[in-house]
Amino acid sequence: MEKLLISNTPHVRGKATTRRIMIDVMIALLPATVAGIVFFGWRAALTIVLALISAVASEVVFRLVKKESVKSIIKKYDFTSSVTGLLLGINLGSQSPWYTPILGSVFAIIVVKMLFGGTGKNFVNPAICGRVFLVMSFGAAVGSGWLEPSIPAFLPTESGNLSLLDLLIGTGVAGSIGETSKICLIIGGIYLVVRGVIDWKYPTIYILVTGLTLSIFKLDFSLFLPSILSGGLVLGAIFMATDYVTTPNTMTGNIVYFTALGILTGIFRAVSGGEAVSYCILLMNFTVPLIDRFIVPKPFGYIKPEKPKAAKEGKNG
Amino acid sequence: MKAKDIALNGLFRQNPTLKLVLGTCPTLALTTLAMNGIGMGLAVTFVLTCSNIIISLLRNVIPSKVRIPAYILIIATFVTVIRMVLNKFLPDIAASLGTYLPLIVVNCIILGRAEAFASKNPVLASCLDGIFMGLGFMAALTLMGAFREFFGSGTLFGLKVMDFSIGFFVQPAGALFTYAVFIALYSLIFMAVTNRKKAPKTQTAPTTEKEVNGNA
Repeated sequence: MEKLLISNTPHVRGKATTRRIMIDVMIALLPATVAGIVFFGWRAALTIVLALISAVASEVVFRLVKKESVKSIIKKYDFTSSVTGLLLGINLGSQSPWYTPILGSVFAIIVVKMLFGGTGKNFVNPAICGRVFLVMSFGAAVGSGWLEPSIPAFLPTESGNLSLLDLLIGTGVAGSIGETSKICLIIGGIYLVVRGVIDWKYPTIYILVTGLTLSIFKLDFSLFLPSILSGGLVLGAIFMATDYVTTPNTMTGNIVYFTALGILTGIFRAVSGGEAVSYCILLMNFTVPLIDRFIVPKPFGYIKPEKPKAAKEGKNG
Repeated sequence: MKAKDIALNGLFRQNPTLKLVLGTCPTLALTTLAMNGIGMGLAVTFVLTCSNIIISLLRNVIPSKVRIPAYILIIATFVTVIRMVLNKFLPDIAASLGTYLPLIVVNCIILGRAEAFASKNPVLASCLDGIFMGLGFMAALTLMGAFREFFGSGTLFGLKVMDFSIGFFVQPAGALFTYAVFIALYSLIFMAVTNRKKAPKTQTAPTTEKEVNGNA
């Protein structure tokens, strides 16, 4: 009897830690980041580095203000701020002024993440919120870089001049730094799926439903491929919408969430003619608690209780 | 002493915007400019003071079953007066306040003070309450307006201060954000002040506790 170890659950632990997952996400973002820097030049690299550094610095400063020791900050640092900074950086135009990535990162980390309690407690995706903050504040300044190489590619009707291959690889496509090269994003997405960080179903649902909704709305199915290969849809679907904190807990909930997200994005794109992915993800993030409230996972081995009438008959029998 | 209490309640301890969170609609909509805060604050102060006086005078006459319609009637009278006056003499301010000027009729601060204070207190106290509640409202609105104007448009009371501006702050989302920041700052100051007042008590309590722990 003495050899038996008695301990509380959980008895089997996985290797997944927040730190490992976040480093995986950063590795997955690397191809798209490199592609962005190749396409847009050193200004893109500067934007990304500024966003990254200021995001990490904001978290460290916030924790220092809260009188945490440097040792515990380093020990507890889980790389979520780095991911937020990197995502925000590649979500901006390459010609955006130098202060925009800094302001966006500070807003994303301090206001959206740290003020609500840090990692895992933010109610919306910090990078999305930082981007929306910047677009609201400096619409023209942040957007100017998007038109830099050629026409805005997120307008499905105008992307006719570009071949589908161009859209897939990102050559000559306008857009924010990281969103143009779909093939690099998809490679990153496959890496995440292989590492078990995200489920392949959900981004696929989002992307396909968006394309379908837009095609149905415009009654033109030739728009299907150009629309899903343009704009920030692939980036948003793989890296932004799948954020653990801001997606429902159950599989059914996730399917509902990503389908609704796709329908919303498709309609917004069709009606406004502009890019709506970040606003749609932000909007749907607010519905996550609602979805979790109504779609509750069944406990293991749960049997549906019989109706009282049937039970009565059974007793009589 | 009583007057000082009423004044402090209106300006700080029960500030209508920051503590009671009343009248949020004009607060969120009008604080894009600091000047709007002053205009709206003065209009509300006038209406609040006059309606408090009249309601306090009539507090024993108005039957409690129909008190709300009676209050609204009194408030609407003064709102009409201030609207006419502003339209005639200060058309710029009237234009910038827009639809929120007639909407003072349904402003919760005025109805709230009528219900909570003027209907239970004598005339002079009600008059003071109206003045200081209005001034508290004006102070909060002007500060918020200055904050949003400074960061959102780079100006202060219409004067250019800096070339750089963050458009977020003059938009609706910025209004809610600014409101949250101000309520947080207010609570911080409020707690600091109340803690300082109770300082002798709270300071002695932990030391004895420590001693007890140390002995144990």
